[in-house]
Amino acid sequence: MTPLTQTADVAIPELKPMQQRLLVAGAAGGVLSLVGALLDTTQFLQSYLMAYMFWLGVTLGCLALGMIHQLSGGAWGVLIRRPIGAASRALPLLTLLFLPIALGLSRIYPWMNADLVAHDEVLQHKHVYLNAPFFLARAAIYFIVWNVISFFLNAWSLEQDRTGDFRFARRMQLLSGGGLVAYGVTITFASFDWMMSLEPHWFSTIYGVIIMGGQGLSALAFLTIALVWLSRRAPLDRIVVPAHFHDLGNLMLAFVMLWAYFSFSQYLIIWSGNLPAEIAWYLHRMETGWRPVAVALMLFHFAAPFVVLLSRTVKRQPELLVKVAAAVLVVRIVDLWWLIGPEFHTGGIAISWMDVVLPLTIGALWLVVFVSQLRGRAILPIHDPEFDEALGRIIERGAPPRTAH
Amino acid sequence: MAESLQPVEDPNRAYVGAGTPPVIAPGHTFGTVTDKISAIVLTRRTPLGWYAGFLLAGSFAFLLLVSLTYLVTKGIGIWGNNIPVGWAFDITNFVWWIGIGHAGTLISAILLLLKQTWRTSINRFAEAMTLFAVACAGIFPLFHTGRPWLAYWLFPYPNSMSLWPQFRSPLIWDVFAVSTYATVSALFWYVGLIPDLATLRDRSQSRAGRVIYGMLAMGWRGSARHWHRYDTAYLLLAGLATPLVVSVHTVVSFDFAIGIVPGWHTTIFPPYFVAGAIYSGFAMVLTLAIPIRAVYNLEDFITMRHLQNMAKVMLVTGLIVAYGYGTEAFISWYSGDKYEGFVPMNRIFGPYAFYYWLLITCNVIIPQALWFKRVRTSVPVLFVISLIVNVGMWLERFVIIVLSLSRDFLTSSWGRFAPTFWDWSTLFGTVGLFVSLLFLFLRFLPMISIFEIRTLLPEAKVSDE
Repeated sequence: MTPLTQTADVAIPELKPMQQRLLVAGAAGGVLSLVGALLDTTQFLQSYLMAYMFWLGVTLGCLALGMIHQLSGGAWGVLIRRPIGAASRALPLLTLLFLPIALGLSRIYPWMNADLVAHDEVLQHKHVYLNAPFFLARAAIYFIVWNVISFFLNAWSLEQDRTGDFRFARRMQLLSGGGLVAYGVTITFASFDWMMSLEPHWFSTIYGVIIMGGQGLSALAFLTIALVWLSRRAPLDRIVVPAHFHDLGNLMLAFVMLWAYFSFSQYLIIWSGNLPAEIAWYLHRMETGWRPVAVALMLFHFAAPFVVLLSRTVKRQPELLVKVAAAVLVVRIVDLWWLIGPEFHTGGIAISWMDVVLPLTIGALWLVVFVSQLRGRAILPIHDPEFDEALGRIIERGAPPRTAH
Repeated sequence: MAESLQPVEDPNRAYVGAGTPPVIAPGHTFGTVTDKISAIVLTRRTPLGWYAGFLLAGSFAFLLLVSLTYLVTKGIGIWGNNIPVGWAFDITNFVWWIGIGHAGTLISAILLLLKQTWRTSINRFAEAMTLFAVACAGIFPLFHTGRPWLAYWLFPYPNSMSLWPQFRSPLIWDVFAVSTYATVSALFWYVGLIPDLATLRDRSQSRAGRVIYGMLAMGWRGSARHWHRYDTAYLLLAGLATPLVVSVHTVVSFDFAIGIVPGWHTTIFPPYFVAGAIYSGFAMVLTLAIPIRAVYNLEDFITMRHLQNMAKVMLVTGLIVAYGYGTEAFISWYSGDKYEGFVPMNRIFGPYAFYYWLLITCNVIIPQALWFKRVRTSVPVLFVISLIVNVGMWLERFVIIVLSLSRDFLTSSWGRFAPTFWDWSTLFGTVGLFVSLLFLFLRFLPMISIFEIRTLLPEAKVSDE
C-alpha cells in the first residue's frame, strides 16, 4: 500500500494560488453585488435566488450522488469521492448565504403581501403553510438535516482514511440509506417553499422531482469538470483513464434524459388538463417574451446534450466532455432563470447584469470552500473498501501515458 | 477436474459485511451448469407436483375461458362497472398485470447495460413472466371494448369508413405502447433463448425434441461469427427495450393523468407509476423465484444474493411510491381546490377507507421491514412480503381508479362499485392463465440462461493482459 499512499498524498500545487484568486474574485463580486442590492433590491434578490439555487443544487446533488454511491458501489464513484465530499462541505457556507433570502422574503414572495392574501381565498387557505415564521422554521430544519448528513459522512470518511477501519463504510451506508430519504423529503419541500411558492396559486406534484433531477445533473457536470482538471495534474494523471469519463458521461446522459422526462410529463399533463389554476404558470413562461427561453431549454437542455452525449468518442475524450459539462452548467442556470425570472418580469424576458454577476460571485465563494476542502485531504480515498477493486490495478500497472494538451 | 472446482470469484461482490453470498454457488463447471439446468427439461422426471399445479392453474385458466365466453355472449354488463364507475376491475387488472411485467424488462435490459451480473440467473424467467403478464394485461382492455373482434379499429389504417383514432387520447398511445412492449419483450426473450435451444437440441434424447428444439434454434451452431452477431443483436435489443421500462407505464399513467378527474390528474403520476410497476414486478419475481428455486433445487444459481438484491430494489421503489402518495396528499391540500382537497379525505375516511388503509399497510408500512438485513435474508419472510406487495399494488390501482370515479364533482352523481362474480372470475382466471403458461415454460424451456451462467464461471475468465 505504500506507493498508493504516496500517490494519494501528493499535494496539487496549483490549488493554493487558485484559492487565493477565487477569494479575490469573490470579494470583488461581493462588492459589485452589494452595489446592485442597493440600486435594485428586488432584482438583486431575484438573481440571488437563482444563483443560490444553482450552487445549492451542485452541493446537494453531490451529497445525494455520494450517498447513492455509498449504497450502489461502482468504480465511477471512487475517483470522485473526494470532490463530492469537498462540495458537500460547502453546506455551512450555503446555510449562511441563505440569510439574504430570509431577510428579503417580503420582496420575493407574493404570499408575504398581507393585502393580497386578505382578498384571496386560496391564499388564505395556504396561509397556514405559507407564512414567514413557518417558512423560516422549515428552512432551519432543511439546513440542519443537510448539514448533519454532510458532517457525519465526511467525518467518517476521514476516520476511514486514517484508520482503514471498514466499520465506517458500514456506518456511512446506513446513514446514506436514511439520508437519501431525508434528502428526498427536504428538497421537495424546499423547492415548494423557495421556488414553487413564487407563484403561490400554482402547484405541481412533480416539481420536487424536477428540481432533484436538475441538481443531479448540475452536480455531475461540475464533478466532470473537476475530474478533468484533476486528471491533468499529478497524481491523478497516472490514474484516470477514458473509461472513468465514459461512466460520468453516461450518468450525465441519464440525468439529461430524466430532466427532460420529468419536465415533459409535467407539461403534457398540465397542457391536456388545461385547467386555469395550473396553466397560468406555463402561460407566464411560454406565451410571453419568455417563450424563446423555453424553446432554447428544449434544444439545449435536452436535444443537444442528448445527441452529443450519445457519442462514445465525446464521452471518452476529456477535452470534449469538459465542454459539454460546462455547457450543461450554463443551461442549468438558464433553466433556473426561466423558473424564477417570469415571476418578477411577467411582461417578458428581462436580463440584468446581476443575473451574471451573482452566479459568478456565489460560485467564486463556493469554489474557495471547495478548493480549500480539496486541499485538506488526500485526493483519493485509499481506504475505501472498493478502492483496490476500482483503481488498484490501474495504479499498479500505471495508466497509459496521455498526450500533452 | 479438481482444479476446476475452485470457489467462484464473484466479480461484483459487495465489500461490506464480508460474507455477502456470491451470484453462483462455488464448485460449478461448464458441464455441471448445463447438466443441471437442461436436465429439468430433458431428463428429469416431471415431478407429480408439476401435474397437480398445472391442473389447478389450468382449471382457473378454464374459468377465464368460461368468463370471457359469457362476457362476449352477454356484454360487459355482467361486470359490476356502471356509471359513474365505468372503469373498475378491468382497468385495475390491466394496470396491475402491465406493471408486473416491468421487472422482467428492467432485469433483462437495464441491468444488462449496467453490467450487473447477478441478473443472469433470473432474467430468463423474469422475461417469461413479462410476456405472460402482458398477455394477461392485454385481455382486459381488449374485452372491455365489448366487441374484441373489432379491436383492429384501434390501429390507424386507411379504411372505407374514413375513421381514424383520436391521436390525442392516451388510450390510443396505450395501444402503441403495449403492442410495442409485447413485441420487443417477445423478441428479446426469444433471441436470448436461441443458444440454449441449440443446447437442448444437441442434448435431447428424443427425435421430437431434436426436431422441435432444432427448428426453434434456427440453425445455431455456436461459431465465433454467430456469437459475434448474437452479442451485437442482444445488446441492440437491450437498448431498444430500455426506454420501454419507462415509457409503457408512463403512458399507462397518462390514461389517468391526462384527464381532469381529481385524484387522477396530477403531475407526479408518470415517475410514480413507473416506480410502482417495478415495485410490483420485483415482488412478483420474488413470489415466483422463491418456490421455484426450492422445488427445482436451484439454490446454487438463484442465491441469497439475488433475493437480497431484489428485496433492496423493492425497498427503493416502495419508498418512491410512498413519496408519490405523500406529495399527492400534500398538494391536494396545498392546491386549495376543493375537489382536489376532497380526494385524500375520501380515501382516508370515505366508504372505501378500509381498502385505502389496507393499501398503505401493504405498500408502505410492512415493506419498511426490508430495511433490516435479517428480513432480507429470511426466505419465508421475503416470500410473505412479496405476496403482500402484490396485493398492495393491486389495491393501489383499485383505490386510484374506483375511488375517484365513484365520487367526482357532482354529489348527485356519486355512486358505489361492487364487483360481481364475473369480475372476480376474470381476475383469478388471468392468474390461472399466467401460472399455467409459467408451468409450461418451466417444463419445456430452460428457465435459467445456461450460456450466460457459464460466463460467470472462473473457466470463462479470459486474462485481459
